[in-house]
Amino acid sequence: MTQPKIKFDRVTKRYGPLTVLNQICLDIDPGELVTIIGPSGSGKTTVLRVLMTLESIDDGVIYIDGEPFNKMRAGGALAPASNAHIRRLRARIGMVFQNFNLFPHMSALDNCIEAPIHSLGLARGEAVNRADELLDMVGLAGLRSRYPSQLSGGQQQRVAIARALAMQPEILLFDEPTSALDPEMVGEVLQVIRDLASAHSYTMLLVTHQMGFAREVSDRVCFFDAGQFVEQGPPQELLGSPKNERARQFLSKVLEAR
Amino acid sequence: MNWDWQFTFEVVVPRLLAVVPVTIQATVLSFLLALVLGLALMLLRISPLRVISIPAGEIIEFIRGTPLLVQLFFLFFLLPEIGIVLPPLTTGIVGLGIYNAALCAEVYRAGILNVPAGQWEAAKALNLSACRTYRDIIIPQSLPPIVPALGNYFIGIFKETPLLSFLAVAELMHASKLIGSEYYRFTEAVTVAGVFFLVMSLAAAALVRFAEGRIRGRILH
Amino acid sequence: MTGRLMAIAALIAFLLGIVVATFSETRIFMPALLRGAAVTLQVAGLSFLLMVAAALTAGAAKTSPFPPVRWMAGAYIEIFRGTSLLVQLFWFYFVMPEFGVTLPAMAAGVLGIGLNFGAYGAEIVRGAIQSVPKGQREAATALNIKPLHRLVRIVMPQAMIIMVPPMGNLTIEMVKATSVVSAVTLVDITYASVQQNQIHYRTVEIFMVTLVLYYCLSQLIRFSMGVLEARATRHLCTGH
Ligand SMILES: Nc1ncnc2c1ncn2[C@@H]1O[C@H](COP(=O)(O)OP(=O)(O)OP(=O)(O)O)[C@@H](O)[C@H]1O
Ligand SMILES: [Mg+2]
Repeated sequence: MTQPKIKFDRVTKRYGPLTVLNQICLDIDPGELVTIIGPSGSGKTTVLRVLMTLESIDDGVIYIDGEPFNKMRAGGALAPASNAHIRRLRARIGMVFQNFNLFPHMSALDNCIEAPIHSLGLARGEAVNRADELLDMVGLAGLRSRYPSQLSGGQQQRVAIARALAMQPEILLFDEPTSALDPEMVGEVLQVIRDLASAHSYTMLLVTHQMGFAREVSDRVCFFDAGQFVEQGPPQELLGSPKNERARQFLSKVLEAR
Repeated sequence: MNWDWQFTFEVVVPRLLAVVPVTIQATVLSFLLALVLGLALMLLRISPLRVISIPAGEIIEFIRGTPLLVQLFFLFFLLPEIGIVLPPLTTGIVGLGIYNAALCAEVYRAGILNVPAGQWEAAKALNLSACRTYRDIIIPQSLPPIVPALGNYFIGIFKETPLLSFLAVAELMHASKLIGSEYYRFTEAVTVAGVFFLVMSLAAAALVRFAEGRIRGRILH
Repeated sequence: MTGRLMAIAALIAFLLGIVVATFSETRIFMPALLRGAAVTLQVAGLSFLLMVAAALTAGAAKTSPFPPVRWMAGAYIEIFRGTSLLVQLFWFYFVMPEFGVTLPAMAAGVLGIGLNFGAYGAEIVRGAIQSVPKGQREAATALNIKPLHRLVRIVMPQAMIIMVPPMGNLTIEMVKATSVVSAVTLVDITYASVQQNQIHYRTVEIFMVTLVLYYCLSQLIRFSMGVLEARATRHLCTGH
């Protein structure tokens, strides 16, 4: 049995009295594409945010490649992680946000080379070459010197994907990457993600409301509700004939709406 | 450092306390003058006649763009030359009043411009006179942003009163300077003056909040 | 652009003033006033540098995750905003020597004005930093960018756009406030006017020249801030 790439071990996250993640457990294998679906406000974004260390967690441990991430091994026990430890493991994860979060004062190219130069320590020339390749890959070769305000939403999200890839992550997190886009731009972004899934070996965690896309690309779909992963399985099974009552209700509502 | 408590309590504090009323008087009278003069300046500024509104705007801009202290000196020397002999405190109050009137005029104007155009049109549709339109429709609606801004200017005027010491008005700063040079001890005099200002500006801020609360309750709902 | 028009009009008025002053008997007071103006410019320039440095440091410190750093910045801001500028100038010039630190008049003036206005500027900087969207900081964290680098390269450039206009207004207030530096025995243009007036009794001419000069300076700052703002926002106005 291979070691899971990502492992959530009874992770709990609270906002005041509200428990958003209630002792969640999830193992994700290397190269696997896992999609999280669930009702609005159930905590899907929070799952990604605690993994990206944008939120602290109240209880439990997250492991990356078998190494504790929010904690570190000290002697036999687990101690709070140092900044250096977090930075080292965080370098393996890239994240694409719902509303892009491009740096508005930098061109598309500068967005993609800022972190590689200053966080990975790449030489400028090398960083530029790699950024150019990535921008080419997401279909934006000619737009490298445009500023975010001069790009469409779909183009901005593709720059954001290139920016995340430029850090050479092994794990990619997508939080509803198309839900802030006008309908005609959704396709171009989904195509990029589709290419990433088929031609590369990234481990991916995707939150989406696009059920058709989830069915097509996922290795596994997880239904999240009330702070827990309620049901998971292969896409055909979970999206076609869910066993859980709440999952069934959710899916029938979503499918009705289209 | 050698802080002399006896000197502090026997000389500095009593002599500074004695001039606190001058500072308060200067603040309150200048503020009232600024409120009234500011209204007049604002009315000139929003006049439909451009020959009136443009120069009024430039004058306001000029007063705001130059230092209060220079204006005070100008008045201080100019008034006697044109035959108006006033005590320095009065000159100081006039100077503070004019300077802050220019600031108040802009606050009033911003408040009135803040009232949506639809309100003017509605008043016109109801055939209200200009006077009634202002009194019943425009002014009540323009007050919410004006009142807190005026409160800040009240505190601002209080912080500007030390400038009157340049005209030899016997206020806090002047008294503290005098004590310093009489006894060759500045530490206590200057520090206690600083504490007085800190305490009084906190008190003024509390007073302004209280007044704002009352005014809000009465007219702003 | 009205700012530019006003700056030009003010400049012409000032040049006219100099001409009148030079070719009439009033030229007797011009050299002294110009010497004073040089002192005013020096105090204003140095105070501006100190003000910006203090405002950026204290403003950024106010958003620090470490409470003691926040408290220190808060104490600085409250003390320098609460007591009046004149008190602070006196403190630096007359009281510091009693602690064994004797400052030249220029240093005392610049310290007093720079630190006083820096405290007001710190609140502007803090507000600007906090108004940068949270997502920007999160994107930087997700890219593994270090906190200090994130502040300097990601947050500050965006905060700059928000703080330029209020900082411009504060700078104008600061330049006007330099008129009190005679309190620490400096002969700036304000005090030079008083001296010249006591010698020559030409109140209107002397003070009009001085007032117009200050006015030009304020308009110049307003104009430069407009240019700076346009430059800073040039990528953000297009599109959307
Ligand atoms: N910073 C916060 N403070 C307090 N509550 C929060 C915070 N962030 C999120 N929450 C709450 O946590 C819950 C889960 O939020 P989350 O954003 O993870 O939901 P989601 O499943 O991603 O929803 P959506 O589909 O609408 O994006 C919500 O009820 C939300 O109100
Ligand atoms: Mg979400």
